[in-house]
Amino acid sequence: MLSPTDPMIDIVDLCKRFTKGKETITIFDGLNLAIPRGDFVAVMGPSGSGKTTLLNLLGGIDRSDTGGIEVAGERLDRLSESELSRWRASHIGFIFQFYNLMPMLTAAQNVELPLLLTRLGRKERRERVETALGVVGLADRVKHYPKEMSGGQQQRVAIARAIVSDPALLLCDEPTGDLDRTTADEVLSILQVLNRDLGKTIVMVTHDPAAAQYAKRSLHLDKGHFIEKELAA
Amino acid sequence: MRSIILQILAVTTINLKSLPQRLWLSLATVIAVGLVVTVLLAFLSMANGFRRTIADSGAEDIAVVLRSGAVSEINSVVLRDQVRLIEDGPGIAKAADGKPQTSGELYLTVNGIKRSTMTKASLPLRGLGPQGPALRRGVVMTAGRMFNPGSNEIIVGRALGKEFEGFELDQTVTFNNTRWTVVGIFAADGSVFESEIWADLPVLQSLFKRAGAVQTVRARLSSPAAIETLRAYSDNDPRLKLDVMSEAAYFAQQASNTSDLIQKLGWPLAIAMAFGSLAGALNTMYSSVAARATEIATLRAIGFGGFSAFVGTLVESLILAAIGGVIGAAATFLIFDGFTASTMGGSFSQVVFNFQLSPRLIGQGLLLALAVGLFGGLFPALRAARMPIVAGLYG
Amino acid sequence: MNDLVLIRKNLFRRKLRAVLMMVSILIAFAIFAVLASFERAFNAGQDRATPDRLVVLNKINFTQPLPISYYNRVAAIDGVAQITHFSWFGGYYQEPRNFIAAFAVDPENWMKLRDSDFVFPPEVRAAFIRERTGVLVGARMMEKWGWKIGDHIPISSSIWSQKNGSHAWDFIIVGSFTARIPQADTNVMLMGYDYFNETRSFGKDLINWLALRTTSVAANERVTDAIDGMFANSPYETTTDSEKAFNKAFAAQLGNVALIVELVVGAAFVTILMIVGNTMVMTVRERTREIGVLKTLGFPGGRILRLVLGESILLALLGGLPGLCVALLLITRVRDSLMSFVPTLSLYPDIAAAAVGLMVVFGIITGLVPALNAMRLNIVTALGRS
Repeated sequence: MLSPTDPMIDIVDLCKRFTKGKETITIFDGLNLAIPRGDFVAVMGPSGSGKTTLLNLLGGIDRSDTGGIEVAGERLDRLSESELSRWRASHIGFIFQFYNLMPMLTAAQNVELPLLLTRLGRKERRERVETALGVVGLADRVKHYPKEMSGGQQQRVAIARAIVSDPALLLCDEPTGDLDRTTADEVLSILQVLNRDLGKTIVMVTHDPAAAQYAKRSLHLDKGHFIEKELAA
Repeated sequence: MRSIILQILAVTTINLKSLPQRLWLSLATVIAVGLVVTVLLAFLSMANGFRRTIADSGAEDIAVVLRSGAVSEINSVVLRDQVRLIEDGPGIAKAADGKPQTSGELYLTVNGIKRSTMTKASLPLRGLGPQGPALRRGVVMTAGRMFNPGSNEIIVGRALGKEFEGFELDQTVTFNNTRWTVVGIFAADGSVFESEIWADLPVLQSLFKRAGAVQTVRARLSSPAAIETLRAYSDNDPRLKLDVMSEAAYFAQQASNTSDLIQKLGWPLAIAMAFGSLAGALNTMYSSVAARATEIATLRAIGFGGFSAFVGTLVESLILAAIGGVIGAAATFLIFDGFTASTMGGSFSQVVFNFQLSPRLIGQGLLLALAVGLFGGLFPALRAARMPIVAGLYG
Repeated sequence: MNDLVLIRKNLFRRKLRAVLMMVSILIAFAIFAVLASFERAFNAGQDRATPDRLVVLNKINFTQPLPISYYNRVAAIDGVAQITHFSWFGGYYQEPRNFIAAFAVDPENWMKLRDSDFVFPPEVRAAFIRERTGVLVGARMMEKWGWKIGDHIPISSSIWSQKNGSHAWDFIIVGSFTARIPQADTNVMLMGYDYFNETRSFGKDLINWLALRTTSVAANERVTDAIDGMFANSPYETTTDSEKAFNKAFAAQLGNVALIVELVVGAAFVTILMIVGNTMVMTVRERTREIGVLKTLGFPGGRILRLVLGESILLALLGGLPGLCVALLLITRVRDSLMSFVPTLSLYPDIAAAAVGLMVVFGIITGLVPALNAMRLNIVTALGRS
C-alpha cells in the first residue's frame, strides 16, 4: 500500500512529441513534476503549452515517448492498453469542459456508468449513485436527461460520475470553461470540498485565474516547462 | 418564377456536390434500389418471355379441336369418326386440290435429358400428317430434311435440340423399342413448336398402339370469324362434344397459368424489397439533410425559400433512385435478357423460352425505383424545408 | 442499469432510424422464411419418400401406360414387400379449373402401402374395400369442397369417358383419412380400379404406374434390375426408380425453384446488409466522442466491441423476429389458395431456427466494422484533444 507521504504523481524526465505532417512538434522535453497526495493543483498556461497533453498523460489516455510517469503508484509507461483501462476505472475521475454526458441516459444512469466496470450489485450501485449525486447537490435530478439540465447541473453530474467509483485522483480539463461566474464558483466549491473533506487529489487545467484561486497552488506551464507559483494561504 | 428555379438549382447543386461525403450510404441506397429493380425485372421478363413464346405460337385462323374439358392436348382424345366429321365441317379452308386443310395429331411425351442439369425431363413428341407443318407459321428446315411418311424418322425443333441432349442431326434415339433417326432440325418462328419433336402420324399411331384415334385436330379456317361457325357445328352434333377454339386462344390459356404465377410471385417480392430499400433511402436522405443543416440554414438566412430546400432534397433522392433503377434495368438486360430456360408447360412437357425484357417492363422497373425515391425523399425534404434557421446555423 | 440497457438506449437514440432499419430487416427475414418454407414444401415429396419405396414407370415417359398384368408379375418378384398400382384419373369437379387429384388404385394394397403416411380408421378401410363405387377422400379435400361422408359427388375426367359417352362418374364418399406425418398431403381422392376399368370406354386394362416397397433398402437394386429386366424388349418397357428420385426429377421439371429462391433471398439480404451495415457505421461514427468518454472512464476495448455488436444483434433480432411472425401470418393466409401446388406449406421449425441463427450472423456482420472501429478508437483523437 501507498503511504500518505508517497507522491500521487511523479514524472521524471518525460518527453512527448507529435508529428504533424512532416513537422515534429516537441511538447515536453525532459519534464519533471511531483504532486503529493491530497494536493489541489491548478495548471495554467497559454494555448499550446501542453496543458491538455499533460492531463491526457496523467490519465493514461495518451502515452509518453520516453521518461517515467508514475501515477497513484503505477508506472503508466509500463502498462498495456487493457491494464490502463482497468487502472483508469479504479483510480481516475475525469471532468471535461463540455461535460460529455451520454444524451440518452438519465443523470443517475450517467453517474452509474463507471460502476458497470465494477463487481458491485444493483443495490450497492444505486446507493453509490445517490451518494455521489448528493455530494454535488443534485439528489433531486436523478431522472433528468442532460438536455433537461443547465450547464452547471450537467457539470455537477459529470463530477458525480467522476467520483462515484471513489478514485484518488481527479483530472479536470477547463471544468468551468463553459460556465458563467456564479455557476463556475459553485462547481469549483464542490471541487474544493472534494479535495478538503474527501482527500481527493485534483489536477485542474484552466485558463481562468479566478478558478485557479480555488486550488492550493498553481503551476504555470510554458513551452513544456513549469514555473511554480505557490499561492498565498 | 425564375428566382425559384435558380434557388432550386443552387440547392440541388449543393446537395449533389456534397454526395461524396455520404458516398457509401448513398451507394448502398443506389445498389439496393438496383437490386429491387433487378429482381422485379427478372421475374417480369421471365413471365413475358414464357407468355410470348407460347401465346405468339397461336394463330387466329387456326382452329384447335379437343375433347371437351380436356384443357390441354395431352389429355385429349378425338376418335376417328369425330375427325371425319370435323373435316367435313363448315368454315374450314380448302387446299388447292379441294381437300380441307386439317391435321389430326397425336401428342405424346417422351423422356429426354436436360443439358444444363442432366436431369430427366418430359418432351413433347407430336405425330402429324403431311398438312401439319403448313398449318404452322414459318416452319422451315434449318438442317437436314423433312421425315419421310411411313418411316421411323423424326425432325426436332431448334430450341429443343439446344436444351436437351441426344437430338443432333443423324443421331438415333430409342422410344418404345424402336430406333428413330433425327433427319432434320426445324425452326418455327421462335414459337413453342420449336420445343417439339415431330414424327409421321400413322407410324406413331401404330407404334404407340393408338390406331384410330388422335388427340387433337387442327384446321385452317376460311377466316378467323369462321371459328364460331365451326364451334356451333360441333355443339349441335351430339357425336362431337368437342371443344373448338382458336389456336391463339388455346395457347393464351396454356400460357396464362404459368406466367400469372411468375408475375404473382415477382410483384409482391419486388414490392416487399422496395419497402426494405425505402427504409434505406429514408435513412440516407435524413442523414443528407442532417449533414447539410448548416448549408441549408445559411441559404435560408440569406433569403432562400423553404421550397427550394424541399425540392433540392427530393431531387437528390429521385436522382439516387433513378441511378439505381437504371443500373438494375441494365443488370437485368445484361444478365437475363435472352437467357434460355425451360419449364413445364400445360401438357406436362417442357417448353423452352427466353427471358424477354421489353421497354414496357423497363418502364415499370424505373417507375418502382422512382416511387422508392419519391417516398424516400418526401419526408426528409419536408424536414429540410421546415428546419429552423437558427438551429441549423448554430448546431 | 446494465449493458443491455445501455445497448437499448443507444439503439433507440434515433427512433425513426432504428425503426426504419428494423422494417427493412423485417422484410428481408419475412422473404427468407416464406421462400424457404415454400421451397421446402415444394420439395416435400422428396423428403416424404422413404428409401425403400420404388416406382415402376413406362420407360418412354411417365404419362405412357403399362398393362395391368404387370401388377401381379412384379408383386411376385422376390424382395417386393408391398405393392399397388396407380391410374391417373385427371379429375375435375363441376368446372375444368376445379382440378381434383384423383387416382384409381387397388384399395386394399394402396392403404397398406400408405399406412405409414395416413391414418385409416378400421371402418373406413373396410368400406373402401367393400364399396365398388366408393371413393376415399383426404381430409383437406373434404374440407376444401365441404363434402361429407355419404355424399354422392359427380367427378368429371378430362381424359376418360364412360362407355355411355359421359365424361363424369358418380362416386359415393365412403370415408376420409388424415395425415400421419406433416409432409403427407391429404388433398387427394382414391377410387377402386375395378369399377373405373370396367366403366371407361378406352384404355382398358392399362395402368399408369406401380408403387412398391421393398423388403429392405439393400434389396432395391436387385428388385429394380429384376423388374426392368423382366420387361426388357417388350412393347411396354419399364424404368424403375426410387420414389425420391422420381419426385425430384418431376419437381425439377418446373425449373430450378431452389436457385430462384436463393437468388431472391440473396438479393434481399445483400440489399438490407448494405443499408444496415452502412447505417451502423454512420451511427457509431456519430458517437465517436461518447465512445472516447466511455474509454476514458475505463471501459476496455473488448467491452466497447461487445456494446456495439450487441446493438447490431439486438437490431437484427428486433427486426427479424417480427419478420418471422409476418412470414407465419402470410404462410397461413396463402396456404389454402396454394394447396394444389404446394400442399404442405408451413413455417417449419428448423427454418425458423435457421432464421434466428441468420439474424445473429447478420447482426455480427453489420456490427463488426463499426465495432472494430470503436474498439480501436484512439481516445485523444475521439475527444478532439490533441
